[in-house]
Amino acid sequence: MPEEFRVLAPLIVAALGTFAVATLGAVRPRLAPPLAVATAALALATTLLMPAGGRVDLAWAPTWDLRLTFAADGLAKLYALLATGVGLAVLTYAAGYMPRHAAHEGHPLSRTVRLYSLILLFMTAMLGLVLAQDLIVLIIFWDLTAITSYYLIGYEQEQEASRRAAMTALLVTGISAILLILAGVLLYTRFGTAQLPDILAQAQAGPFVTATGALIAIAALAKSAQVPMHFWLPQAMVAPTPVSSYLHSAAMVAAGVFLLGRVHPLLDLSPGLQNVLMALGFASMAIGGVLALAQMEIKRLLAYSTIAQYGYVVVMLSLGAVEGAAFYILAHALIKSALFMSAGAVTEATGETDLTRLGGLARSLPLLAVGSGLAAAGLAALPLTMGFFKDEVFFAAAAERGGVVPVLAVAGAVLSFAYTWRFWGNIFLGPLRNRVERIPWTLTLPVLALGVLVGLGGIVPGPAASLAADAGEAMAGRATPLQLAYHFDLRAPNLMAVITWVLGVVAILTAPRWATIPRAVARTGDRYGPDRGLFTAIIRLTTFSRRTRAFLEVRNLQWRIATVLVATAVLVGVTIVFAPPWPTFRVGRLPTSDWPLFLFLVLAALSALVATRSAGRLTLVLSLSAVGYSLAAVFTFIGAPDVALVALLIETMMTLLLLAVLGLLPIELARAPAEREPHPGRRRAVGFITTGFVFVICWGVLSWPAPDATMARAHLELSPAAHAADVVTAILADFRGLDTLGEITVIAVALLGALTFFASRRSA
Amino acid sequence: MSMSTILTKVISRLIFLPTFVTAVAILVKGYFGAGDGFSAGVIAGTGVVIQFLAFGPRELFARYPSLRRAPLLAWSGLLLGLATAFAPVLWGDPIMTHYPRPGEEVPHLGLLAFHTAVLFDAAVFLLVFGMIVSVLGAIGNRYGSEGVDS
Repeated sequence: MPEEFRVLAPLIVAALGTFAVATLGAVRPRLAPPLAVATAALALATTLLMPAGGRVDLAWAPTWDLRLTFAADGLAKLYALLATGVGLAVLTYAAGYMPRHAAHEGHPLSRTVRLYSLILLFMTAMLGLVLAQDLIVLIIFWDLTAITSYYLIGYEQEQEASRRAAMTALLVTGISAILLILAGVLLYTRFGTAQLPDILAQAQAGPFVTATGALIAIAALAKSAQVPMHFWLPQAMVAPTPVSSYLHSAAMVAAGVFLLGRVHPLLDLSPGLQNVLMALGFASMAIGGVLALAQMEIKRLLAYSTIAQYGYVVVMLSLGAVEGAAFYILAHALIKSALFMSAGAVTEATGETDLTRLGGLARSLPLLAVGSGLAAAGLAALPLTMGFFKDEVFFAAAAERGGVVPVLAVAGAVLSFAYTWRFWGNIFLGPLRNRVERIPWTLTLPVLALGVLVGLGGIVPGPAASLAADAGEAMAGRATPLQLAYHFDLRAPNLMAVITWVLGVVAILTAPRWATIPRAVARTGDRYGPDRGLFTAIIRLTTFSRRTRAFLEVRNLQWRIATVLVATAVLVGVTIVFAPPWPTFRVGRLPTSDWPLFLFLVLAALSALVATRSAGRLTLVLSLSAVGYSLAAVFTFIGAPDVALVALLIETMMTLLLLAVLGLLPIELARAPAEREPHPGRRRAVGFITTGFVFVICWGVLSWPAPDATMARAHLELSPAAHAADVVTAILADFRGLDTLGEITVIAVALLGALTFFASRRSA
Repeated sequence: MSMSTILTKVISRLIFLPTFVTAVAILVKGYFGAGDGFSAGVIAGTGVVIQFLAFGPRELFARYPSLRRAPLLAWSGLLLGLATAFAPVLWGDPIMTHYPRPGEEVPHLGLLAFHTAVLFDAAVFLLVFGMIVSVLGAIGNRYGSEGVDS
């Protein structure tokens, strides 16, 4: 197998799987889940087989040095493993969850097919994003994740909350994505290449790099739901559990910190920017942690915890501990996906989403309690879980920086400890409060598998550490070894961990005393938070736009056309009269050979005159088409058979279509004379102004002596090489083929618009 | 207004097939003379529009139910166009590269040249033809019941 193929294999598998699930699932919805799970498994297998350091380089537009490049470096490998591995767990879970969910909500089973194919599309987008080595591919897949997340979050399209959450997510991540595109364009124009490694190698510290780095960082932080752009994430948990689980762990939110890692050398050139990032990371840890303590709904609690956890990662990246950040992301993805899926399983078994009405489920759902418990222990950073090391690398990085940073780090970790206990303890311990239904094994198994992985990672941290070290190397561009083991001594991370546990236990025991504080913070946030600001801004902007349109819009069709005609004619005409791009307006000769041509021009003019005088609609249509046919004849005399043919065809088509539409009108309306314009004077003025300027323009163009060396000559000379006897066809299909491609895409979009228009009018 | 005399009906039916033949001919010979996928698409579309005029939407679609699938034709045209344009990227050539390359021999079957530019032209044809018939179908669906059906 060629190496190129092995690098792209996961991407290809996921893309084909998306397509297969969508098409086959449309016919047989029952086939969708197994097919989706198989796709994810195959994608995971191909990811494991990716050759380390393999590269793919596809020419896109070589003359501008635009290439599509992909590389399987350590960072890509880590994220690809997460996207496919967690994706496999999530899809397995969804196979059990979605049919029950559809039954509860009263959806047909065919609706769930959309979810499977969208999750696979999300996987495709993540794989493309992490494999990308150039800004163009990266930006395309970045936007694809935003669009996919919109559809996934808005899966319950009938519910207003769901639609609103999807729109919020799209606005926050989509608007910030524009900043990423802006940064990409700036970098491309500055360095003349879109290749990320080249850009990172050439970048020098300075205001330019700081500015572009800031633009990229804003886009990344919005995606990773960092303060103050965090509010879309808790809303997004209205989506079905598999979606939340994937979004919070291996996709979407992870994409943000991935981008920070990808451009880490760029950010590292600007210490000021890194300090801002650190501050925002700590702010996210604080706000996410405190608000997690205030939540009653289990999925919302987890959503706020995600904000806090990615705050850890942002802090670590800003401290330069890239390998630690990579390890943290890995551990968190396993933990958070397991916790989300256990939350969904609990809700499926009991019908409850509220923490205060759950309890004692450890006895009735023992396997779920174990899997979820391992993951929760990991989140709380208890020893013998992978989570212990995730906090250890965090504490080590914080201790190295010194100052106030270790204190803030411990404070954040205490919050994590407290809300994790609040989540797991409230659900699984205490007296049993719920009637428990049986749930299928597909809901328990992924949680248990991920939980066991979290546990194993705490006993044998080697493989995870080496993955993280490779990823760190890819981010920092230098070797970043990561050795993880238990040390029974008084090193700073150990001390900080012990302090965290002690303070955490104290916090849990004194919970009733301070429980009102997080709720007060949450209420204040609801009232004055950035969420509110965004929506006020949107409403104001919409109103502004509507008022502007009402002010500017010309409602009468005739006047609308007149506005366009007069404005264009005057603007272009005035330019030509006052700054003529050619020297003279000449009066040429009219050779006798051109008499037939002249005759047809006269015919066109006469037909146009008839059109202005015609009373009935039918006469109007026919005289207008006579104008067109006469002009087509003129083209044949000039010796432009292709143009003449197209003019003739279009004229025929227009005439026939107009006749067809006239035929559909009620007879009296079709026969009725066209309405008379109430202001004939105005109409004449528009006509004279427009035709006057058009006349000047045409005269000017025709006076312009044709230069010898034009593009047309080159096209004529190149046609034989393109194997074309007809130069026009060669231009359309080959020389300017990209234009044609753009045009046919526009035709397709127009068709979509027309079909939607007619369909909606029908239902109205 | 009654446009459906016996004469128009007979003539329009007689020219239905020939329009398609002409369209395909123009598409295929595009590389040797005037005409291309766009013209061919419009010609074929004209054929259907004439039937629409002569028979009215209801009878037209009853007679040729496959015309209802025209949007599919348009989308497949778009896909074919995109595929022809972007496929070269997969093996490292710039987009919109046509094969055989300049200087190489183009195999022929009569007037039909085995050249990817012709494939691209066919995509344009499909899209244009599909677009015309789809819009016609949509108009017929919406207004057909009040229309000419004489």
